[in-house]
Amino acid sequence: MTEEEKAAESKAVKMIVFAVGDQEYCIPILSVREIRGFEKTTVLPFAPPYVCGAINLRGIILTLIDLAIYLNVPPQLDNPRRVVVIVESTQGIMCGLLVDRVIDMADIQGSDIQSVSDDCSSLSGLVMIGNRMIGVLRLESVVNQLVEGVASE
Amino acid sequence: MSGDMGDILLVFFQECDEQLQELERGLSALSDGESEQETINAVFRAVHSIKGGAASFGLENLVRFAHVFESSLDGVRSGRVAPTQDVVKIFLKAMDVLSDLVVEARDGGPSVDPGRIAESQIELESIIGGNAEAHKTDDVVPSDFVPIPMDFVPVPMDFEPVPVDFGLDFGFDPAPVQAPAPLIVTFCPHDAMYARGDDARNILIGLTDAAVAVEGGEITVTCDASALPPFDALEPDRSYLSWRAVLPAEVLEDTVQSVFDWGGDVCDFTISREGDPASEGGEAIAATDAQPSGETPLDVAPPEPAVPALAETSSAVTAAQATPAVSRPDAIQPAAVASGANGANVRRTEQATIRVDLPRIDNLMDLVGELVIAQAALESQCRRNNASMPRELGECIASMQSLTRDIQDAVMAVRAQPVRSVFQRMQRVVREACSMTGKDVVLTLEGEDTEVDRTLVEKLSDPLTHMLRNAIDHGIEKVEDRLAAGKPAIGHILLSASHRSGHILITIKDDGGGINRERVLATAIKRGIIAPDAVLTDDEINNLIFAPGFSTADTISNLSGRGVGMDVVKQAILSLGGRITIQSVPGNGTVFCLSLPLTLAVLDGMLIVAGGATMVIPVSSVVETMIIKPQDTYVLPDGKKMVSIRGDCIPLVPLGSELGLSAAVSDEPRDGAVMLIVENESGARAGLVVDEIRDQAHVVIKSMEKNYRRIPGVSAATILGDGSVSLILDAPALIASAVGRINTKLSDARAVLAA
Repeated sequence: MTEEEKAAESKAVKMIVFAVGDQEYCIPILSVREIRGFEKTTVLPFAPPYVCGAINLRGIILTLIDLAIYLNVPPQLDNPRRVVVIVESTQGIMCGLLVDRVIDMADIQGSDIQSVSDDCSSLSGLVMIGNRMIGVLRLESVVNQLVEGVASE
Repeated sequence: MSGDMGDILLVFFQECDEQLQELERGLSALSDGESEQETINAVFRAVHSIKGGAASFGLENLVRFAHVFESSLDGVRSGRVAPTQDVVKIFLKAMDVLSDLVVEARDGGPSVDPGRIAESQIELESIIGGNAEAHKTDDVVPSDFVPIPMDFVPVPMDFEPVPVDFGLDFGFDPAPVQAPAPLIVTFCPHDAMYARGDDARNILIGLTDAAVAVEGGEITVTCDASALPPFDALEPDRSYLSWRAVLPAEVLEDTVQSVFDWGGDVCDFTISREGDPASEGGEAIAATDAQPSGETPLDVAPPEPAVPALAETSSAVTAAQATPAVSRPDAIQPAAVASGANGANVRRTEQATIRVDLPRIDNLMDLVGELVIAQAALESQCRRNNASMPRELGECIASMQSLTRDIQDAVMAVRAQPVRSVFQRMQRVVREACSMTGKDVVLTLEGEDTEVDRTLVEKLSDPLTHMLRNAIDHGIEKVEDRLAAGKPAIGHILLSASHRSGHILITIKDDGGGINRERVLATAIKRGIIAPDAVLTDDEINNLIFAPGFSTADTISNLSGRGVGMDVVKQAILSLGGRITIQSVPGNGTVFCLSLPLTLAVLDGMLIVAGGATMVIPVSSVVETMIIKPQDTYVLPDGKKMVSIRGDCIPLVPLGSELGLSAAVSDEPRDGAVMLIVENESGARAGLVVDEIRDQAHVVIKSMEKNYRRIPGVSAATILGDGSVSLILDAPALIASAVGRINTKLSDARAVLAA
């Protein structure tokens, strides 16, 4: 468990909740830079399948991650509400997460997060809001995978 | 070291850099035969400022050396020494040492070789020393010292000014003042006090001031020279003396304490009242009492350490080349170590700063002001909804367009810097290389005012260093060979910079022996860089020197011969988006031409479409474009293709599938598909098959690696006019992957044929 998660456990964190396929996920709202519509991307050679390409965000070039492919859930095809959540990791690396729709915001107590098995590294746990189960996305691991992954031919 | 101090120190080191540049410029002018007083003054000022600044930061090593340097320069300034070539050479060498000392003090890196400092110091001293000997032997030399061995004769001259000072400051009756409880001050300076440019004399003056400030106050000073070793064991830059001063009772301890505020950390001192049991032991008093009645010159003229004495009397400096040379390195070593440890605290906090001419900033400011006005105009146009609106709107946008272009140029101008700074550094590289190889080479600079992007200026330093060293080590022949070939004994290298159609062209031209192609070829074959039966053109042979691991040097010297140099140069130039070419005429010399983009931020690119994506390829790497004729292609057994261009077979790279963008699309180059022939710097070529060539444009380079990873075959990305992202292709990498495949096959084939 990282320092950040330990700190998060003690106090409530505002999370943004979004849907990918039929499942809901959340990330801390402070890591979100902006939410924008999905636009045409530039395909990148030798990219992992979950990278849909690069976009231009006011002069900064970002890669988009299709969370449906990344999280291995069936995507909702032809969904007009697909949006890109632009996030910035604690190391300052930015990327866009392609999600099916943004639902709402929620205050989540760190202690409410129930851990899941360790081998599921992209989620740090599950949390219940009402009777919905929401996965807490581990943003750092997503972003690091993007940057450190050795592009294979 | 506190934060504030660190900031000030930072400014000091920045100034040091400027002073060193000034120094270099001045000395270069002197070595070119100029001897104007203003130039000499500028050189002197530069060293003096460094010394002054260093003294306030307690950078002892630096102060000590700058001091000797300054003294010698003063000899030139006052006209006693003529700035001959030899003298200027010594100064140039000293400047190198000085700049190394500055770096040492700044970065706390490896300390400068004390031997080198000592050597340079002795040379410096010899400049004025030799002269002083000629002019000043009839100066006041204490007669007692005459019988001492001849080598030492000039040394006593150090002592000469001191009695004068004492005469001025302490011209009192030395009889002790019988005040009720006189204040007794003893102090013993450490070596460090003199090293940082301070002097015991200043403390004595301070004490005298304190004494005469009270009514009828007098001061009695006695000098304790008991620690003074026999003359032949005397180290001129050590401190041996201590003083005891008796001040009137009215003087407050605090006043005396304040005298030691400045130098207190580099001397031992005690302040006490007479009769105070805590005062210094009777033994010490006895010693001081006994002393003045002792030998002759000492009570009148206490010999001060040689080095600080130089400060007061650069006119009468020692010519003690012989003996101190032996003792000095030992004396310097501890100080160097201490300063190294000191430097570690300072750490490297170098900030990237840039000095810009004010007019450029003003210009930028004006343009931004205009942009704001243009934006307001645009806004009002939009609000006014009338018939002529589209036309006026168009005008507004057009004016904004030209404004943005101007702003872009203005910002580039702010970042632009003359290559002078890097070129001047090369003088030193040449000097060092010359002294290592024993060759005599003159470096001429041309076009130092050519401006290029700041980042480029910095990155030029290493490649140029390598190339100049190579030129001196391999290019310029030995003096005998040069004379035999009917050339002047002194080699000549021209380093020039100029602008040429959006590029900066840097040429390094030497008048050496040129590239020995037979030897290069033989070496390349021996090292397995090329096949033994390869037939290469002259250009290809020349380019072999850029091959990794190539070296013709029989022996590995400090300078070159490890076979990494030119390979590194080529990589560095390539990574800057430049090209490097060689022209070499045997017997006449070699010319290296570097062509570099003016800025690393903008690139001249060709927009192409491959695999459905628009991409950019740097124009600099495209040799030609042509339409492929099916009859010119040949399919290899593994499906890869070769194409023959005017008799040369080069590998064909279908760009779309090479980048994994159009795996499914027919790999078959369509009839009439466009091929770009790209070349890397070693002359290897490949044909990139693309769908179409769309445009040519200046594109702004954006890093992909900041938010993503490295992509093979792609060097960066850019944003096109429509806002979409486009990839910039890495032509050398694409060629390397294509040629690598072919080459292994070719050598296999050759092996088969040979068998």
